[in-house]
Amino acid sequence: MSRFEPLNAGNLRSDGRRPLELRSFSAQLTTHPSADGSASVSHGLTQVTACVYGPREAKNRGQTMHDRALVNVEVSVAPWAGEMRRQRARGDKRTLEFAASIKATFEPVIQTTLYPRSEIHIHIHVLQLDGGLLQASINATTLALIDAGIPMLDYVSSLSAGLYLTTAMLDLTSIEESDLPSVTVAVLPRSGKVTLVSMETRLHVDRFEEMFKLAMEGGKVLRGEMDRIVRERTAALARQMEGGGGTKEEDKMDTDDL
Amino acid sequence: MPREAEPSINQRDFVFSAVQQGIRVDGRTPLQARQIAICFGNELGWVECSLGKTRVIAQVTATVTRPSPERPFEGILLITTEFSPMASSAYETGRPSEEEVTISRMLEKTIRRSEALDREALCILTGKKVWALRLTLHFLSDEGDLLDCASVAAITALRHFRKPDVEVVGDEVTIFSPEERAPVPLSLHHQPMCVSFAFLGPANVLVVDPTHLEEQLANGTMSISLNAQREICVLQKAGGVALPADEVMRAVNIAVFRVRELSDIVSRALEEDSKTRVIEVR
Amino acid sequence: MSYVLPGDVLTPPAPPPKSLKLGPGLLMLHTPGNPVIAHRPGVLHSTPKQQHWIETESRRYIPASQESVIGVIAYRAADAYRVDIGSAHLATLDALSFEGATKRNRPNLKVGNLVYARVSLANRDMDPELECFDATTRKADGFGELKDGFMVECSLGTCRRLLDSKHFLLPSLAQKFPFEVAVGMNGRVWLRAGSVKATVAISRAIGMLDDRQTSDDEVAAFVQLMDV
Repeated sequence: MSRFEPLNAGNLRSDGRRPLELRSFSAQLTTHPSADGSASVSHGLTQVTACVYGPREAKNRGQTMHDRALVNVEVSVAPWAGEMRRQRARGDKRTLEFAASIKATFEPVIQTTLYPRSEIHIHIHVLQLDGGLLQASINATTLALIDAGIPMLDYVSSLSAGLYLTTAMLDLTSIEESDLPSVTVAVLPRSGKVTLVSMETRLHVDRFEEMFKLAMEGGKVLRGEMDRIVRERTAALARQMEGGGGTKEEDKMDTDDL
Repeated sequence: MPREAEPSINQRDFVFSAVQQGIRVDGRTPLQARQIAICFGNELGWVECSLGKTRVIAQVTATVTRPSPERPFEGILLITTEFSPMASSAYETGRPSEEEVTISRMLEKTIRRSEALDREALCILTGKKVWALRLTLHFLSDEGDLLDCASVAAITALRHFRKPDVEVVGDEVTIFSPEERAPVPLSLHHQPMCVSFAFLGPANVLVVDPTHLEEQLANGTMSISLNAQREICVLQKAGGVALPADEVMRAVNIAVFRVRELSDIVSRALEEDSKTRVIEVR
Repeated sequence: MSYVLPGDVLTPPAPPPKSLKLGPGLLMLHTPGNPVIAHRPGVLHSTPKQQHWIETESRRYIPASQESVIGVIAYRAADAYRVDIGSAHLATLDALSFEGATKRNRPNLKVGNLVYARVSLANRDMDPELECFDATTRKADGFGELKDGFMVECSLGTCRRLLDSKHFLLPSLAQKFPFEVAVGMNGRVWLRAGSVKATVAISRAIGMLDDRQTSDDEVAAFVQLMDV
């Protein structure tokens, strides 16, 4: 079996990308019309869907807060998502931790003080895994919240980065993630501040800063992409509301990207 | 499940205005941590660590078992955390709360994922017998910053523990009891420890080693695991208030100092303890 | 002064007095001979007027009528507040139980505010009730909302000691700097001093007093060395 080469002689990665090149990003809004808001996001082969319900009456009244909404996150990974078919238990600690970090990421960004004693429930489905799970989930949740019309301070845009020797790389696939030290970062692009930083691999302090700052820059660029998609869809909605009647050709959603 | 009462408005306003002036409620400065006290039990591998009023006990035990089929030459390390209502009435045995999950996952990542313990050195007979270590952490009292206290206790316990000496001749394995041959220490690649921070008040002042009240009032928290060789093992800032990149780097640098301090304290405590234990050579 | 444990039988002084007043911690059994036993551990105190009681160290507050307590507003109901006083149940504080409150003019307390109130009703079958004025004069007399400052929690015994005017701590602190303090019988003390440093210093001094491992002399020394 040939050894995996993160960067070959021509400075190209294993999937032919340059170090700072992102995978093909596509997103669709309102994929689940029954939810208050939903979005499906894919970074290359990683595909994640997020559904938002709320603000609604909390199922567990004891947990509600008198002056703000409660944010609940539930994550389910499909058995066919990874390399091998695996049914994951519901209360799995890794999944619970994942859900808790997403909840903590969005709580300060959503204007929860507008909806006291209610609950905003976010459900994340992981359909296909090829690295960058946290980044895809956060981006999907941002778009789903926008789709639901829940007021937020800013987009939360997330990206992963890794380091091979002295070259920093953005948007890692799963084979790169298992081989290189990597960090996932979520930023509020307008202010440039970081709201989530998660690194689980060993890395020397001096080499960390460059990778970290690059991931933040990449997050800001990704926001531009998300914004473009939201604006296109809003423009289409506005046209439908004003024009009434049949949809135009350009208003039909593009299903080829998936 | 009874939810812990939130601190009153007076508490919140006072803590924020005090920390703005560089004073914390227990008299510390923002970057000052509480005193760590380490004491050892009679058994090797039993350590109690207290950080102010926060107390954690770590215990390491070893048994011989079959290795897993995917990794026949590696030993097994199992880390279990025991939260009980003894630590705080907010904890319940049974379903783990969010905080419990965060702490136990951070400890798993710090010790297991960073490969602190040399698991190949735990192998006795490839494919047939390996050492299975069980590191159990009991949280006795939660006055804030359980994670740091637990990580110090865990690493100290792993350094304190001695496994029985073994001799392998061909396929024959002899395990010597502590009376027959002196037990041997574990082989640790590096010793990672956690440093936790909280951000308080509208100016997001950084404080090291938050107390329970500060944790409840914090806008955000961050935990960094490092070893004395200046390598970051885990960096977890899961949500909370958004910060500029420089604040994150500043916290990393503070953590580097703190871990060096902690490593010295742990080494000194282990040295003191080894003087009190007599190993007879017959 | 002697230390007693639950179940210890107390011998009445000889000759037996006409009436014995039994305070907290003592119980007279209805078995022949009517022995008086202690049902809580602690120090037995007696006065010449035949009043006997047991001083017990505890942290959980059991509401008793006419005691002053510090509470945190937990809920706002229509005409009343539900207040957490550290007891088994939330206490009710009527919105009109303040000095000069009428239907049109009511104090506006929010969830999380601190109040200094008096327990007006403490029946073991009902939730306790609070009032923020003196019963006879209907004047505030110090009760009501506590603004700013900081609250510390301590044991019930420490609070009783602080309320004793002969105890050394508060007067010795007053010699260093001026401050306001409200002591609740439910194990909570509210402080407000001119500067943050002073407030932190007092709260640490009370914490040391509460800590059973520091002696009174150490606390007095801490106060002396205080530099504010």
